[in-house]
Amino acid sequence: MTDKNPDKGYVALLGWSLNAIDAVDRFDRRYVVVAPPWAEDYCKQNDIPFVPWDFDRLNERSHELAHQLDDMGVDVAIPIFEETVEWAGAVNAVLLKNPRLLGQAMLFRDKSLMKRRAQLGGIRVGVFEEAHDKGDVIRFLKRVNQTLLKLDGDPNDPIHFKAFDKSGTAGHRVIRTPEDVDNIPDEEFPALLESHLDGWEFAVEAWIKNGKIEFLNISEYVTLGYSVFVPATPELEAHRERITEEIEKLIDVFDIEFGFIHPEYFLTNDNKLYFGEVAYRPPGFNALELIERAYGFNGYQGLVLAFDPKTTQDELDAFFPKEIVDAKGHAGCFGVYPRRRVVSRLEIPEETANHPYFEFHELADPREQKVAKRSAFGTHWGLAYFFGNNPHDLRDLLKKQEELDYYV
Amino acid sequence: MTSQDASPDDGQSGGDKSVVMRLAVTLDAAVDRLERARPFAKSRYQGPVLDVLGRIIAQPGGLGVVRQRAARMDAAGLFAGSDWDRPEALLPQLVGGTLVSEDPAFQALEAASLARFLAVADGEARHDNLHEEGARHFLTQVLALNLKDLFGVSDEATRGLGARQDVKRRVLRHIADHIGLNDVLSVLVSEIWRLLEQRSVQVGVVKDMIAQIAVALNEKGTEPGSTRLGAERLVSALFGPTAASRDDPGLSVYLERISIADETGLSREAMGFARAMHDTGLVSDYHAAFLIWALDFDQRPLIPEALGLGTTGLDCWRHYRGLIEKLVRSAVTPATPQAAYGLAMLLERGILHHAPMVPALERQLSLRLGGAARDRIALGFGPAVPPETQLLSGVLRVLGQPLGVGQGANPTCQSARAIALWALNDPDYLLHLITQVAEFDTLQMQFEGVQINSADLPVGLAGSGPIDADPVSVLLVAHLDRIYAEMGRHCAGRPGDPHKWINPQFHGWWVSRDCAVAVDVTTGQLDAYDGFLRRFFATYHPDYNGGRPLGHPQPAGIAVTDAQQRFVGWHAIAILRVTEDQTGRMRVYFYNPNNDSGQDWGNGVVVSTSGHGERQGEGSLEFDAFLSRVYLFHDEPLRSSYGQDIPEDVIAAVRDRAIASWAADRQPQGMIDGA
Repeated sequence: MTDKNPDKGYVALLGWSLNAIDAVDRFDRRYVVVAPPWAEDYCKQNDIPFVPWDFDRLNERSHELAHQLDDMGVDVAIPIFEETVEWAGAVNAVLLKNPRLLGQAMLFRDKSLMKRRAQLGGIRVGVFEEAHDKGDVIRFLKRVNQTLLKLDGDPNDPIHFKAFDKSGTAGHRVIRTPEDVDNIPDEEFPALLESHLDGWEFAVEAWIKNGKIEFLNISEYVTLGYSVFVPATPELEAHRERITEEIEKLIDVFDIEFGFIHPEYFLTNDNKLYFGEVAYRPPGFNALELIERAYGFNGYQGLVLAFDPKTTQDELDAFFPKEIVDAKGHAGCFGVYPRRRVVSRLEIPEETANHPYFEFHELADPREQKVAKRSAFGTHWGLAYFFGNNPHDLRDLLKKQEELDYYV
Repeated sequence: MTSQDASPDDGQSGGDKSVVMRLAVTLDAAVDRLERARPFAKSRYQGPVLDVLGRIIAQPGGLGVVRQRAARMDAAGLFAGSDWDRPEALLPQLVGGTLVSEDPAFQALEAASLARFLAVADGEARHDNLHEEGARHFLTQVLALNLKDLFGVSDEATRGLGARQDVKRRVLRHIADHIGLNDVLSVLVSEIWRLLEQRSVQVGVVKDMIAQIAVALNEKGTEPGSTRLGAERLVSALFGPTAASRDDPGLSVYLERISIADETGLSREAMGFARAMHDTGLVSDYHAAFLIWALDFDQRPLIPEALGLGTTGLDCWRHYRGLIEKLVRSAVTPATPQAAYGLAMLLERGILHHAPMVPALERQLSLRLGGAARDRIALGFGPAVPPETQLLSGVLRVLGQPLGVGQGANPTCQSARAIALWALNDPDYLLHLITQVAEFDTLQMQFEGVQINSADLPVGLAGSGPIDADPVSVLLVAHLDRIYAEMGRHCAGRPGDPHKWINPQFHGWWVSRDCAVAVDVTTGQLDAYDGFLRRFFATYHPDYNGGRPLGHPQPAGIAVTDAQQRFVGWHAIAILRVTEDQTGRMRVYFYNPNNDSGQDWGNGVVVSTSGHGERQGEGSLEFDAFLSRVYLFHDEPLRSSYGQDIPEDVIAAVRDRAIASWAADRQPQGMIDGA
């Protein structure tokens, strides 16, 4: 904690992420990590400023945390995980004396509310509905397919089943048949149901200050849950202007003054943009690292700038590069799932290992030899990173990885 | 978009160099991230660096890239949180194991650590806890401890490692290239002498090592002393063993010199060659040239002197001079000098007095290799001399040094053992097999009356056979291997270990017809192990078998363990004799088709190859230690009771050693009181 500038803001990171702490520790602002008590020893040993806190469901103790941080002189709280978004809202409502921030955070935490709010604000969304039990799911599946004029026996168009408050692909199921519905455990209800949209799915990472976009990245999904790369192909980047307008609508509708959002969109075949959902925290799949590899700036440090009320416009201008033109190349990653039922070791496929775009991997050695059957989108066993010049080659390469065995 | 891509734009274009250059750029990106990370976050960024390192060290030239960055990677925190962070506390004896670790990250970590030592030793980098001398000393020890891998002798344990072993060798080579072999000379010299004591048929690796020494001596010289003496003895045996060749003048100059030498001078040359050859088992190119020249020197026979023959050999020379001269003329060439040593040892064994041998060798002299057999020999030994010459040279060497037959880097211990035992026991039969394969590209044998023809069989364990062994093995092993496998198929369904039936049928009448196996074949668990041990005592131990010496060598199976006593695999050897050594300890002397018998099987079971009464090519262990690794042996079927009088504590001592090692997880329940 040497080279910290006392004139700049003092931030609290809500949630334990070593990547985030590492990045912020290297930055010029005072910070404190708010995380569960098990992290205490580690923080002591490594001189990491720390406030122990159990983030269960948001409760009346949020006030206690807010005042503790306020007393320490903290200016703003930054949510690192989906589960801490509402805590950050509650804390910031106190720190920034803006009660509206709590309500805003609650919107981000409930996918159903979020969608309705977006719809009310004139943003195009797909067909969706809340489900409280399996009957709701069957009904939605049938109705969607009736609408599509399918006859009995025709294969159904899938629908999507998503937990209200989970991030990324956690709790996300694709439902095609009543049997798929049977496989949903009761504890996953209530949930959000969405019709399936055929099209191009992508995500946006936007750093926002004073209601204005400071940096907007488009992350192109090759296959949802498997692979992503930045910056996107020129074909997708061609829509950047429209996408920027959509983000500005979100800022408007959700009344976002500062911070960071991570929405997902569909570009359908009839060239319409559909809003999927939005998160008020860093994306999964290490997208910030891909952005750093491509653009050279650290996304977490960008987060600090976007949240800190004391950040100046000069700082922002100096920090963020210019989209697309300042990228040194395209960076992508692939989430590896074992493809065989029983695996014994990790072996990078030879054609991957020899490909000039392949950089390195962070794959776990198989600890247990039995592969869990995947019903919902599961957790991958680690990521393989790629970097190269040609976005189309990179996209095809990432797609190709889905057919290769990393675990044999 | 501006595209200063980190990677060369066409990944397909380059050869190895561009791959290394590209990986170097990727490595730098990974090291940058590691460098930036705070100490508590280092571990997250170490993995990617190690991942790239693992790929770079597998590339030719990759280690240079690693060495250049070693100090930077160290400072960036590559070793943070691991033992490697304190180089001053690292143990050189652990390096070899880590370099072939199953986890590529450890392999990469060790390579990076060695690269750091190298950078410090070269003065390219500095380290707070490591000075130039210390780094050099450490690397010297690493090289000395891993010489075998540096020069490429392979055994069961390394054969299974494949690419991991290649990386290890590459790392060791890189270190040797940088710090030189001067410091390791003394270790190297004693290692070479140890290998030479075993008198392998194949001496290519040893010759390589000696050439390395010659270069080292020539470049830097060494302090006078015993090391230098031993080293010079080796170098001179190869490059200048006599007065007229001492300065390594080249063959044409040498031949000029001897053409004008007087008789005393020639005699001195002949004796000089003979002394160097019997001292080392190596034949200098000058020696080969001298022998060929001596064939046409009509004033007096120089061959017996130049071969250094003793009484038996001289006796053979007197009886079969014509044949011997033909053998020298046909087998000894600049490309096959070792035939001279094989011939000398063959004569010394007196086997020419065995009636079928002279006609069999005459047949060998006139043998013409056909089709596939010819191609195989040519593939294995190149075009310098005709395949017939290579084969004849190989025949002389195998017959002269039966215990020098080695399996090369192939899983064919059974076939190599058979060739060695025939050469020892049934030399005319071996020549008969060679003729079959050479002329007809097939081998015929019988299994319990059923005809087996190798040409009709699918390939066995060794695929199309080794090409890194001696010529006789290159010719025969593919066939033997198939026959062996076929005999195994004939045993399918029979209860117990198939070797019981295969070994006698495969080798000959002299393999005892009964067979004891320590483990239950279906479960792999020990089975009546105490009885097994008693039976071995009663069959082989002179104190318990009525003092009968072993007549013919007997195949046996060994559970090979590594230096940590971990089970490596089953291995075929042959028991040659059981007798007391000079100090009165009972020892088993055996033949191991492995290329180097001197192995550490853990817990003090270290196979000795000299100094305990071994003949050249034999390995030996004290009786108990040997028995503790045996899992299969043959004995005579007609005896019914055995070894009941052997004290329990003698048996228990052996059993404990087995259970401490290969049999650790093979104890059936209730075994301790059973048997």
